[in-house]
Amino acid sequence: MSDRTLHIPLQQRLWNPEARLAYLLLTPAVVVLGVFMFYPIFYVFLMAFSKANRISQITGFAGLANFRDLFGHRQFWVITVRSLMWTALAVAAKTLLGMLIAVVLNVTFPGRKAARMLFIVPWASAVPISSILWRWVYHPNYGLLNYTLTALRITSSPPIWLGDPVAGFAACIWVDIWIGIPFMALVFLAGMQAISEDLYESAYLDGVNWWQKFTYITLPGIRHILLIATLLSCLWTFNDFNVIYILTRGGPAETTDILITSIYKTGFEYRLFSQASGMAVVTFIILSVLSVIYAQVYFRQEKS
Amino acid sequence: MKWKNRGKVLAVVLAVALLAVLLFPFFAMVSTMLKSAKEVYTSPPYWIPKHPLLSNLWSVWREYELAVYFRSSVIIALGAMALNTLITVPAAYAVARLRFAGRKAVLYLFLVIEMFSPVIVVIALFKIVAGLGLLDTYVSLIIANAVFTIAFTIWMMNGYFKSIPIEIEEAALIDGCTRAQTITRIMIPIAVPGLVTAMIYSFIYAWNEFLFGLTFIQSKPRMPLVIGLYQFVGRWTTQWELLNAAAFWALIPVLVLFYLIERRLVAGLAGGAVKA
Repeated sequence: MSDRTLHIPLQQRLWNPEARLAYLLLTPAVVVLGVFMFYPIFYVFLMAFSKANRISQITGFAGLANFRDLFGHRQFWVITVRSLMWTALAVAAKTLLGMLIAVVLNVTFPGRKAARMLFIVPWASAVPISSILWRWVYHPNYGLLNYTLTALRITSSPPIWLGDPVAGFAACIWVDIWIGIPFMALVFLAGMQAISEDLYESAYLDGVNWWQKFTYITLPGIRHILLIATLLSCLWTFNDFNVIYILTRGGPAETTDILITSIYKTGFEYRLFSQASGMAVVTFIILSVLSVIYAQVYFRQEKS
Repeated sequence: MKWKNRGKVLAVVLAVALLAVLLFPFFAMVSTMLKSAKEVYTSPPYWIPKHPLLSNLWSVWREYELAVYFRSSVIIALGAMALNTLITVPAAYAVARLRFAGRKAVLYLFLVIEMFSPVIVVIALFKIVAGLGLLDTYVSLIIANAVFTIAFTIWMMNGYFKSIPIEIEEAALIDGCTRAQTITRIMIPIAVPGLVTAMIYSFIYAWNEFLFGLTFIQSKPRMPLVIGLYQFVGRWTTQWELLNAAAFWALIPVLVLFYLIERRLVAGLAGGAVKA
């Protein structure tokens, strides 16, 4: 197709009956995205370079002052580093646990179909509702988690999960991991099932052990899937607002905030709209880089 | 053969252990919603209710006015789904079937914005919604939810339209169908499974959405379900036995719908790497 289009003059390529129909059909999508997505992004950039009052009206040009202010705050760097740590740790855990579940589900055992369905539940459930359920599970006096941990003698003095910086971060990141595991498991499982049985059979004849089969056949067989699923998971994890906001609201004292929750609180709770916009711009840039990498990998796979 | 059986036993043991951990909050939900308030507020707590009762499941409809929130969520999710479909189908057809300059760029753009966080734009979007006089309306959430799903649904529908052999459409065009007729009479009926997946996806997205609901809606009758439930947490009088019962009801529709689209959803997200 590209060969043919190259010889047609540009004007004709842009303006012919087929192209006109395409523009017409794309108009609703473009208009809606323009008004409710691109314009807001533009506006956030504008606000990041402006002074704004407490009801988010722009009152003057600020140049780079907001960013100088932001980068001069120690708390901004703490939260940025925490966001990256949050993403790295959670994605690593989701990948490992998802892989383990995929390996388990790839074995034929009675009840495997039912097990597969049950493993999906954390993903199928609504994130805000799951977060509320976890908040109850973590309850220091009446929550069943600490009771169970004590009853199973895993620990005798369980932490007050949501009231402590370290335990709070662990509690939040676990819920985020918990939500993300099923997607990883399903994608890895789909990849594993696409690997030809012949490979495993010849490996069996060669007498290799299960670990060698896993590292020499399974892992290379799902490497493309591994890449795209990890990228997608990075985007979701970095973007996770609901879990932290509902479990701890970033507390105690901002010790569980990541960029995404901090933007919201800086804007709608502290009413510092220029600062919030500055953080949103930084976040936008990080997300764009990740999204472009994801899109590149996705496109490459569509072609192959 | 012996090691194979050992592998199976190990798989079953691991599956049960992992499921016990992963389903923990749902076990807790069921345990709590079957307890009376007195049993719930006993420290230390216990798993099996001593006098299990179903009354929480019914009284939550009265005491939380659950029906009000359900109604809001249904209106918002159906509205977002309808708007999403109206925008998605023509756009997806255009990128899947028509030749025009910039087709690749448009597709690429949709893929990149698919994962953008609503939090980045929520401040500006709040101003736009307020400016249009749409604060505290269903319309604000219908639009916001539709906007944040169309990039993904266009991609999904693009894939389904592309998988339909072009000869079918060409034959119809030769037989005198107009473009519009080929879309409504041929493409859409064949792509129904994909279309249903995209529609259910946008319904679930709106049903589960939290951030926009939290920001745009202030008055109780228009609150979607998840915001309604959130409002009950953190108050010093939180009645957890009722809240868990409400969560149970709120989860049923999304769980059912999710299982209908799960396989296609995974394929849509992972691209050519996974087949539906």
